[in-house]
Amino acid sequence: MSEENSGEKTIEDWRVRIDEIDLELVKLFNERTQCAIEIGHIKKRLGLEIYSPSREAQVIANVTAANTGPLDAEAIRRLFERVIDEARRIERIEASKEEGSGQ
Amino acid sequence: MGGLNPPTIHCPLPTIFMIIVMEENATEEQIVRVVDRLIKFGFDIHRSTGSRYTLLGAVGSRVADPRELELLEGVNKVVRVSAPYKLAARAFKPEGTKIEIGDVAIGGEQAPVMAGPGVVESREQMETIAGRLAMRGVRVLRGGAFRTSDDPYGFQGLGEEGLKLLREVADRHRMLTHSTIFDAAQLPLFARYVDIIQVSERDMRNYALLKELAKLGKPVMLRRGASSTIEEALMAADYVMRCGNHKVIVCERGIRTFETYTRHTLDLSAIPVIKKLSHLPIVVDPSRAMGRRDKVPPMARAAVAAGADGLLIEVHHEPDHALSDGAQSLTLEQFDKLIDQLRLIASAVERTL
Repeated sequence: MSEENSGEKTIEDWRVRIDEIDLELVKLFNERTQCAIEIGHIKKRLGLEIYSPSREAQVIANVTAANTGPLDAEAIRRLFERVIDEARRIERIEASKEEGSGQ
Repeated sequence: MGGLNPPTIHCPLPTIFMIIVMEENATEEQIVRVVDRLIKFGFDIHRSTGSRYTLLGAVGSRVADPRELELLEGVNKVVRVSAPYKLAARAFKPEGTKIEIGDVAIGGEQAPVMAGPGVVESREQMETIAGRLAMRGVRVLRGGAFRTSDDPYGFQGLGEEGLKLLREVADRHRMLTHSTIFDAAQLPLFARYVDIIQVSERDMRNYALLKELAKLGKPVMLRRGASSTIEEALMAADYVMRCGNHKVIVCERGIRTFETYTRHTLDLSAIPVIKKLSHLPIVVDPSRAMGRRDKVPPMARAAVAAGADGLLIEVHHEPDHALSDGAQSLTLEQFDKLIDQLRLIASAVERTL
């Protein structure tokens, strides 16, 4: 009945693992964001729009196609929508910084 | 607000937050078009694609017209979460606004009674009334000089002479002056003679006047229109504040309802509502709303009990001979009795008059 004697992992064990994964995610999110910032700079230089719906659709298609579960495609989509929202936001902020310093 | 040139006042714009609900069968193209429009408006988007509905959260610092978004194809509904007024919103100054003029403060612990005749008629009239009011501790003398009566044949006021009399008599009794402006051309006179400048309910939306008035920098008392919502009154306050004058007092003076017994229905519920929504002081004018003097004291008492930051009361030494609105003016004796009662009520709600 009790968790300790079964030899299985406890809630605490799983939480330790989740914490490790979260740290990896933070690292990866920031790495991904750095790429978005670089793209933002290039877009700015080339005079391209920050909002690129076809690229966003492609990102969603890539990640849902690669998905093997247990998250379903809709869940993956919603999670990546948040990632894309934040990338778009940081690109905007970077672009407006350049505008400010260019004056 | 296009068309009018916004003044070059730089104030931090609070965050605008909207939620756009797309139609159940909205296509990806339609969603993209809405996102694109919002991004062009300067919003950051939080997209959430649900199994049936796609929601777009939009966060930005620019006001966008929700109708423009609602007109886009595939949009079901636009919900504006933040209020359309910003500077008047409570969040802009959570501690509340206290307007200090000399040793009178509106919006703090004090809830001053501002009293006097509807219109300035003569020196004798003003002396008699002001002398008595000052004796009872009233610190703000009200008096109209440019009476825009609904009756085209009624007394129209003494004009500059009236303002001058108001000032002279108020100074003699160490009182402040309060009067209503009707036209931007009157601004130089109000700059000279008047401490608290009132904007009539009809002019609450006279934005040209509000803009000019804001430049003076004197406290502005903005009367809520009889057919205006609280939100509209606070938007008008934003107009004055946006032009750099944050000394705005909102005045509740009755709204139009289906009830015809009284002239207007005094909306006392506006007091706690405005206190929650806004940091601006709210004063109440029971005289105008009720239109009959016997109905004024009960509503004045209720207003103080409900937390009004001040009262505006019409008083006349000879109401039966008043040149304007005698029926809604209290006699001096009635006022004496009322102010004693108001002091008791004020202390019960931890205020002073």
